[in-house]
Amino acid sequence: MTLKKKLAVLIDLSGTIHIEDCAIKGAIEAIGRLRANPRVRMRFVTNTTKESIGRLHSRLQKIGFDIAKHEIFTSMSAARRLVENERLRPMLLLEDVALEDFEGIDTTNPNAVVIGLAPSQFYAERMNEAFRLVLDGAKLIAIHKARYFKSADGMALGPGPFVQALEFATDTKATVVGKPESAFFHMALQSLMDEESAEEISAEDAVMIGDDARDDVQGALDAGMKAILVKTGKYRDGDERKITGDPPALDSIVDAVDYIERLIDNS
Amino acid sequence: MNWLSKPVRGLLLDITGVLYNSGEGDGVAIASSIEAVKRLQASDLKIRFVSNESSNTRAKLAAKLGRLGFEIQEEQLFTPAPAAASYLRQHGLRPHLLVHPGVQDEFAEFDMTDPNCVVMGDAEREFTYQNLNTAFQLLIKLDRPQLITLGYGKYYMETDGLKLDVGAYAKALEYACDIQSLVIGKPNAEYFSAAVADMQLTIDETVMIGDDILSDIGGAQKAGLRGVQVRTGKWRPQWENHPIVTPDGIVDNLAEAVNLLLAQNAA
Ligand SMILES: [Mg+2]
Ligand SMILES: [Mg+2]
Repeated sequence: MTLKKKLAVLIDLSGTIHIEDCAIKGAIEAIGRLRANPRVRMRFVTNTTKESIGRLHSRLQKIGFDIAKHEIFTSMSAARRLVENERLRPMLLLEDVALEDFEGIDTTNPNAVVIGLAPSQFYAERMNEAFRLVLDGAKLIAIHKARYFKSADGMALGPGPFVQALEFATDTKATVVGKPESAFFHMALQSLMDEESAEEISAEDAVMIGDDARDDVQGALDAGMKAILVKTGKYRDGDERKITGDPPALDSIVDAVDYIERLIDNS
Repeated sequence: MNWLSKPVRGLLLDITGVLYNSGEGDGVAIASSIEAVKRLQASDLKIRFVSNESSNTRAKLAAKLGRLGFEIQEEQLFTPAPAAASYLRQHGLRPHLLVHPGVQDEFAEFDMTDPNCVVMGDAEREFTYQNLNTAFQLLIKLDRPQLITLGYGKYYMETDGLKLDVGAYAKALEYACDIQSLVIGKPNAEYFSAAVADMQLTIDETVMIGDDILSDIGGAQKAGLRGVQVRTGKWRPQWENHPIVTPDGIVDNLAEAVNLLLAQNAA
């Protein structure tokens, strides 16, 4: 790896820097080191359809991380960006707690449907409403397509099945915006550049750190970025062998930050 | 027309779009079809009315058709719910039902404690996240998850707009559990064969008449039946040169088919 200008470091949250309400050992200090490095720009990237950025942020602060709200980029930020870029007026199939990420977006006379994990929205009447919009040509945007998730009372349906139902009935394909879609990583980078307006950062000057071999690491590699797999969180023995591209697999975020510092020093 | 080139001893008739068009309340009878059904009932032809209706018991459906002016015995109605019930009986299955309350009586005989399959029909308002999730949790616990659907339509028209049909919600559970459902209804070939067997006739001596070129005509032909298209209901002019299905006959309406058939049988 050779580095010309600045390095964009995209960092996954759950499993990479924290698990529930505990920081991964050494993570707070490691993030501090990255922040102190003048050649590094950071974004914290995660797939969520239930938690708003505000909630994620206050949780991270409580754990002790020095992270600003605008440094968090979620699959909902990506959906919002897509809506703004294409000037869409979405019907939002989202839970109330997630709606604040779409504050200020015009939702009258919708010409798009944004669908996340929203049990309170998934009933026949509301689904029919979304279905008619998509059949009439509204763009179907899925925050992600997870089949199910672990909930307090066992496995529970994710948003994927409901996206699938709409796709089947309307003969269309949803635009999925979360990790591991390449567009997600590019939009996260774009959000960095919007801020550092003077500076172009290309995908090859970006590195993704995450515990999910498929969603974090393979996704970033496929988007033309570099990537580091960390062996914390959901990592299972041998996960690195499922990745094409042979990225480094390191013990934790601490080693990943060491690795990035060496990379910068050597360039 | 070549659909009359072999003797005909039995008819399978689609209901919606052939006998009546749906709409406010019971809908509107296709006037000439009332007389045509009367003539058929007086002939020595055997008849089954083959439908994917899954929100009414046969008794209620017969009563509704009676109000529209059709004299039809309950036993002449062939709908997915009783066909599914006989499948459950043959395989010793205990169903969990996600169906319209109006059709539950067709399954009254079954033990529903500790279910080992899910039967899904057009449940309309019963399609909630809660109900779909209950069905999902049951399916993923099973060694061989089995989802049985009453029909597999994508959507249908109601007076207050288009509605998602059972196929869309079946797709959702198929995606969540990574399974294929067993479809009981048109255009499934076994469903047509079962209706023919119910008349104690053979495929060879039976003709299907319907308005849906794929589901009625294509499905019947796959089962080896002759399929006759009516130019009523959902028929479209461009179907006269349909890329996939070529009907064995095309008639203006049920009355024309009955005239041709009875004239031929009298000769
Ligand atoms: Mg993670
Ligand atoms: Mg029909």
